[in-house]
Amino acid sequence: MSEQVGERRLSGATLRNGEHEIALLEGETVLEGLERAGLDVASGCRAGTCCKCMLQAEDPPPDSQRGLRPTLRAQGYFLACQARPEGTLSLRGAEAPPVIDAVVESVEKVAPDVARILLRPATPLSFRPGQYLDVVHPSGASRSYSIASLPADGVLELHVRRVPDGLVSGWLHELAAGAPVPVRGAFGQCFHVSDDANKKLLLVGAGTGLAPLLGIARDALDQGHAGPIDLVHGGLTPERLYLREELDELAARWSQLRVHHCVLKEATKREHEGRLDEVAIRLAGTLSSTRAFLCGDAEIVRVLQRSLFLAGIPSGEILADPFLTLRA
Amino acid sequence: MSLYERLGGEPAMQSAVDNFYRRMLTDDRVSSFFDDVDMDGQIAKQKAFLTFVTGGLAEYTGKDMRAAHAPLLERGLADEHVDVVVEHLGATLADLGADPKDIGEVAALAESVRGDVLGR
Repeated sequence: MSEQVGERRLSGATLRNGEHEIALLEGETVLEGLERAGLDVASGCRAGTCCKCMLQAEDPPPDSQRGLRPTLRAQGYFLACQARPEGTLSLRGAEAPPVIDAVVESVEKVAPDVARILLRPATPLSFRPGQYLDVVHPSGASRSYSIASLPADGVLELHVRRVPDGLVSGWLHELAAGAPVPVRGAFGQCFHVSDDANKKLLLVGAGTGLAPLLGIARDALDQGHAGPIDLVHGGLTPERLYLREELDELAARWSQLRVHHCVLKEATKREHEGRLDEVAIRLAGTLSSTRAFLCGDAEIVRVLQRSLFLAGIPSGEILADPFLTLRA
Repeated sequence: MSLYERLGGEPAMQSAVDNFYRRMLTDDRVSSFFDDVDMDGQIAKQKAFLTFVTGGLAEYTGKDMRAAHAPLLERGLADEHVDVVVEHLGATLADLGADPKDIGEVAALAESVRGDVLGR
């Protein structure tokens, strides 16, 4: 590499941003290269801490992913201020995923207010189990639902709680097989990353927070996870818990998986009784080397996040997916 | 070599911020200020703060610090709470292996943002 720009040599690395290519200078970071090319890139500390300059690319340099959550690393996110790539680095755009046509395969009531809905997409939707998709209602309104199935299943499994007067959930509950349902996705950072097959996984969720957890558990098992997996599903009373037999069967099939049912009151012999965070901490044992997945109602997830963090799970190992309920 | 580098750089800051934030959340004198905050966002900000006070940031502006704490002033944020932060900061750094001289320097740097935090 003898080519020079001004006083500085080219590093030999190239940055590809859509149709544009930028040749990086020796020692130059991706952030500096983009700025030199006149692009307006958000940035802050330039020390790999504030994460304002986070971008996404195919195979970014591992150094530039230091300190990011495992799920962000798996999706190719990196800090532009820390990235000095070799070869060509292709940046990924931030364009929204397209709307895909899907049809209802089945709608099954699994709890008084919860339906398990299977959708068959006309074209494959790229997702990781535990991520969520947006369902688009005929009015144009959309709501997010987590995916409980695996890509290999061919169908998208959603657990939909019927919100009182809910526009989208009420509509979904009444759909017949064959009805069209447009979906867009997938989104979200709460999914399994197989970076350590022996890591202890703690999956805690309330209500339909079970959907992403089921996807994450099945995905981890499918990818050969060998470490213990504790799945704790919580509800107010026993009749609010659903898919119990299926969960128990899954646990019977996989020795590393333990399923726990937890209620706030009226527990029978089959459930633990108490606050979900306290039960989860009691069941999980050592927490300092555990990765936690927390899903469900936003307020419950916030409590879980704080309790499990204080109980010893490192903040970087807590993957939370708080559900927000929108009123019609 | 800055204290930031001597302590082990970014990975050390990651465990330091967990240590520091656990201290803050379990201290009745200050924990209520964190009741409604997003934990992930808070951890990111505190990690940046720890990186700054240990000399790991090239530049730092008090503008974000001022804006972030303005709503807390109405809830009674005062000098005594900043004192608690400095106290826990020192204990966290001691846990990481910083010596008293380093901790003194960090405390001095933390003092330099007191005005921004308290809107003065």
